[in-house]
Amino acid sequence: MSNDTLIEVKGLKKYFKVGKNQLLKAVDDVSFSIKRGETLGMVGESGCGKTTVGRTILGLYDVDGGSVLFDGVEVHAQKGKEYKALTKQMQMIFQDPYASLNPRKTVSAIVGEGLDIHKMYKTKAERMEKIYNLLELVGLNREHANRFPHEFSGGQRQRIGIARALAVEPKFIVCDEAISALDVSIQAQIINLLMKLQSQYEFTYLFIAHDLTMVQHISDSTAVMYLGTLVETGRTEDIFSKPLHPYTKGLLAAAPEADPDYEMSKPSPILTGEVPSPINPKPGCRFFGRCNVAIEICSKERPALVPVDEHHLVACHVVNTLKSEV
Amino acid sequence: MSKRILEVKNMHFSFYTYAGEVHAVNGVSFHVDQGETLAIVGESGCGKSVTVQSIMKLTPTPPGKLKQGKIEYMGEDITHYTQKEISSMRGKEMSMIFQDPMTSLNPTMRIGHQIAEGILSHENISKEKAKQKAIEMLIKVGLPNPEKNFMSYPHQFSGGMRQRVMIAIALVCNPKILFADEPTTALDVTVQAQILELMNTLKREFKASVVLITHDLGVVAKTAQRIAVMYAGKIIETGTARDVFYDPKHPYTWGLLDSVPSTGVQSTKTLLSIEGSPPDLFDLPKGCSFAARCKYCMNICREMPPEETVMANGHKASCWLLDCRAPSVPSQKRVSRVSKLNVKEAAYVE
Repeated sequence: MSNDTLIEVKGLKKYFKVGKNQLLKAVDDVSFSIKRGETLGMVGESGCGKTTVGRTILGLYDVDGGSVLFDGVEVHAQKGKEYKALTKQMQMIFQDPYASLNPRKTVSAIVGEGLDIHKMYKTKAERMEKIYNLLELVGLNREHANRFPHEFSGGQRQRIGIARALAVEPKFIVCDEAISALDVSIQAQIINLLMKLQSQYEFTYLFIAHDLTMVQHISDSTAVMYLGTLVETGRTEDIFSKPLHPYTKGLLAAAPEADPDYEMSKPSPILTGEVPSPINPKPGCRFFGRCNVAIEICSKERPALVPVDEHHLVACHVVNTLKSEV
Repeated sequence: MSKRILEVKNMHFSFYTYAGEVHAVNGVSFHVDQGETLAIVGESGCGKSVTVQSIMKLTPTPPGKLKQGKIEYMGEDITHYTQKEISSMRGKEMSMIFQDPMTSLNPTMRIGHQIAEGILSHENISKEKAKQKAIEMLIKVGLPNPEKNFMSYPHQFSGGMRQRVMIAIALVCNPKILFADEPTTALDVTVQAQILELMNTLKREFKASVVLITHDLGVVAKTAQRIAVMYAGKIIETGTARDVFYDPKHPYTWGLLDSVPSTGVQSTKTLLSIEGSPPDLFDLPKGCSFAARCKYCMNICREMPPEETVMANGHKASCWLLDCRAPSVPSQKRVSRVSKLNVKEAAYVE
């Protein structure tokens, strides 16, 4: 493994048991890697397993197969003290800033919790100084330290969530729909903040979102998920300028843009139907039922993620046959 | 000129709470013509929902109170209609689709009965015929197996299917105006595209007008002919979709448009965001309510609220920058991606 890769996910599987003899294959054989200091954007419809991937990487869920390497260390093999040391380097920013902050704790207690757990200070004064610095870093004031979450707006709460994640000086942050619950103008503020912090501290982000325009803006590479599998990964500009997988094409075409003339000139939505249930999925390509270019093999065999050029990988029989014909 | 369906004049709506008076809507005027889609855009808490809910008298009064203003529906003053009078109009003349399809359907009633309920309360027809109509409606909104779905419960449906049911309920009595309050916010992009397409088709088929409330400018660009931008309970800019998107006049509209990165072009690395947050609706500033967040704020902006300036095509904006004495600011005109492409192609041909 080259040294500039921070996260390496290999054949990750996460199944949940639902009811009798039924398996919900939330994540089914997903592999990707994230380079140090880069951002991987992960997009897909709800229920496609984006969040499960993020949580499994952090070790919040056990794996049912495959492995996650963080800086060469296998996350799920670590226990006790070693795992605790690992959690210090990996943090998460959650989707809902209203539900992810304990309403009975003050901001300083929320932000300082990580400092306490990892004993990152010698004196009380040093602890408070660290908290103040963190608050100022995310654009809040010192005076906010003694307030409670309900006294803040959504955008400010998300800033508290970011300060909490930054407190333990992590290397890797999973942003799980960190901006979905916010207004557009506030979303832009938070995105700018995340990017500023990245350039200052060289964080590596896994940016999970369903808002394609924001993903395009923030990420270096993009992974598209569909029903527990990766259908396409590559450099962001490639994915957005020349998408190959029919699902990626449909997803990009469905996202409306703030440009009426362009919207009017666009054909009606390509993707019909909805995401089928991930419980006991059929063999073959997961996208088969909604795909408009499917061929016979698609219903029988699951396509593997194969490279089309150096960085661009696609899991689609149709794309592969076209390529081999050329 | 097409027929005017709804006209709201200078509406003020407040909520009286223990903490004081919340000025939710402060002098909103707009109109909706037959067959058009008007989009009301703004951040959360700017009074979009309260505006349309108070037209349909769905806001609880008290604590809410319509302090001032006039609402005309088809030339008839409905401002002071009682709940009984307005309820005979709901569903038949005007109806509403709510944001959250998960909670706005009755979980204990079969889908079909929820659709038929509206028909039975407005029209004097037999239950059998109402059922027939409900099934027709289910087909129109694109739900498969209408006979089976008629007997289903909401929990058996996905979010997109529930929103289709909501649309069926809203349109079954052929209303003239449909209020859609963030109809696609809770849905995925692909399903959102399907629902917007469906709403457009049905709007044409039923010749209804739509008032679409949303904060997603992409959705607006896709569906609306006219736009009203709201901020702190006021409409600060209104005009045709093309005027507002390509030649916006108000700094808040500039900020909103700037904060959405556009696909297709990898933009500059920082997004231009609007700093700060909306004003406190308990205690509105005496000048322009956007002054505190405005890059171009002048002294007068803090002292006096700006007058509405009317430009060509019914394009109106309330901003002191449009006053003839104001200093000029950099042009904020935008170009559509389509015409950009054309320019590029033209250059290529040459």
